[in-house]
Amino acid sequence: MPLRHVLSNLRQGLRRHLSMHVAVVLTLFVSLSLAGVGLMLTKQADLTADELGTELQVQVTLCVPDDRNPRCPTEVTDAQRAAIDQVIDDSPEVASWYEESKEESFDRIKRQFGEEQFEGPDAPFTVDDVPQTLWITLKDAEDYDGLQSALLFQDGVRDFVPAQDIVGPIFTIIDALKYAAWGAAGVLVLAAVLLVFNTIRLTALARRKEIEIMRLVGASRVFIGLPFVLEALVVAALGVGLAAGALAAFTKFAVIDWLSPRLTAIPFVGWTDYTDTLVLLAIAGPVLTVVPTLLLTRKYLRL
Amino acid sequence: MIRFEKVTKSYPGPGKPALDKVSINVDKGEFVFLVGASGSGKSTTLRLMLREDRPTSGRVYVAGKEINRLATWKVPRLRRQMGTVFQDFRLLQTKTVRDNVAFAMQVTGRSNRDIRKRVPATLELVGLADKAARLPHELSGGEQQRVAIARAMVNEPMILVADEPTGNLDPATSVDTVRLLEEINANGTTVLMATHDHGIVDQMRKRVIELEHGKVVRDEATGVYGFSH
Repeated sequence: MPLRHVLSNLRQGLRRHLSMHVAVVLTLFVSLSLAGVGLMLTKQADLTADELGTELQVQVTLCVPDDRNPRCPTEVTDAQRAAIDQVIDDSPEVASWYEESKEESFDRIKRQFGEEQFEGPDAPFTVDDVPQTLWITLKDAEDYDGLQSALLFQDGVRDFVPAQDIVGPIFTIIDALKYAAWGAAGVLVLAAVLLVFNTIRLTALARRKEIEIMRLVGASRVFIGLPFVLEALVVAALGVGLAAGALAAFTKFAVIDWLSPRLTAIPFVGWTDYTDTLVLLAIAGPVLTVVPTLLLTRKYLRL
Repeated sequence: MIRFEKVTKSYPGPGKPALDKVSINVDKGEFVFLVGASGSGKSTTLRLMLREDRPTSGRVYVAGKEINRLATWKVPRLRRQMGTVFQDFRLLQTKTVRDNVAFAMQVTGRSNRDIRKRVPATLELVGLADKAARLPHELSGGEQQRVAIARAMVNEPMILVADEPTGNLDPATSVDTVRLLEEINANGTTVLMATHDHGIVDQMRKRVIELEHGKVVRDEATGVYGFSH
């Protein structure tokens, strides 16, 4: 395949409909950036759920020695603990549950409130002061009344906190932002694909004589279609490149530099999540331009 | 070299088929005029031969292959064995004569060495060696058609298909053009020329196949255009 000829066609094609190509690149850039934000918000929701529990989870803490909570005259005893386990196991509202060790709970609290507060002799509490935590996953986020009254009736139970109360508003905000990003990205992706359709139509029209001659003298389908596919790839690469830059700026300035230091209770997405998102965008970009190109070149070039 | 076996081609909608059980056989090295009024089926015959279209029924063979059964990806290879020339020349106006001819070799993947060798030789054949650097609009109609013939011949096809190649030319230039096709034919290329140019057909005394309403109504070894049947 004469590479020089293919590259010269590609150069001509890009120059001939420069404004259309710029329109596709910009639309693709904005749509991929929004889709990227949507993906990162999904990851953010997962991270938040890992740390604070999902809306289905309930956090049950048990009494510690010298507990200031009026429900806890003494530390939870083995017998009380066995009865608590039994209540949870017997509850029809429970899907599953597990126990978090004091060390794990302490680590989680340190992460949420900042390690430095728990260092030195003036630390507000140590690992020994941390109550044992049971994480219960409900079958239905709204249906826990039976379990709550049964557990609060048990001695040794310090507190019963449905995660919904804490994470509900956070998830509501994340979901709203996520769906808004996805919705806008969807509309713009549609616009980008339609622009690709128009660009190919114009290019095919501008080059119809040349393409007709190529077909008649026996140029292969790959040879005729390749400049179109390469144009689509160049446009996609530029769109993905710009989106990668915008997402990197979002990750660095909005998340890492601004949100993370202000909201320490939640872990935030970082560069690893950015890289994962970028891989998906790098696949989506070319697919969005090359697939319509392949379909339309078949139709308009009769390849 | 070219064989049509009971070929029928119908297009959607009412009306008679464009070709109706047409059987034609053209041997290697022949020069054949395909004549008939507009709508007689000449262009459809050429389109089927080039696999631009497929017959509704019947079989079309080119160079020993049944081309309506040919896989789509093999069609370019078939077309490399056939040169095509049209009434409207179909030259690329932004390319020089040399580049227009070289284009047919470039897009079929021929090497630069081949191109440097074949293009001047082909321009010499059509008598345009001294106008290689001109743009098409700087040439006369006859010269432009010669460029188109050079482009069709540069890949050394076995068959040259010409669809009304003299349609836009004056009588004297038309004769020159057909003389050039005759010369190409003398070098072994099978030539099939669709035309309704009476003068040319009568003067050349070659084989004539006449189509009327999609049927072969005459096939004479050395015919004229207006023979009444």
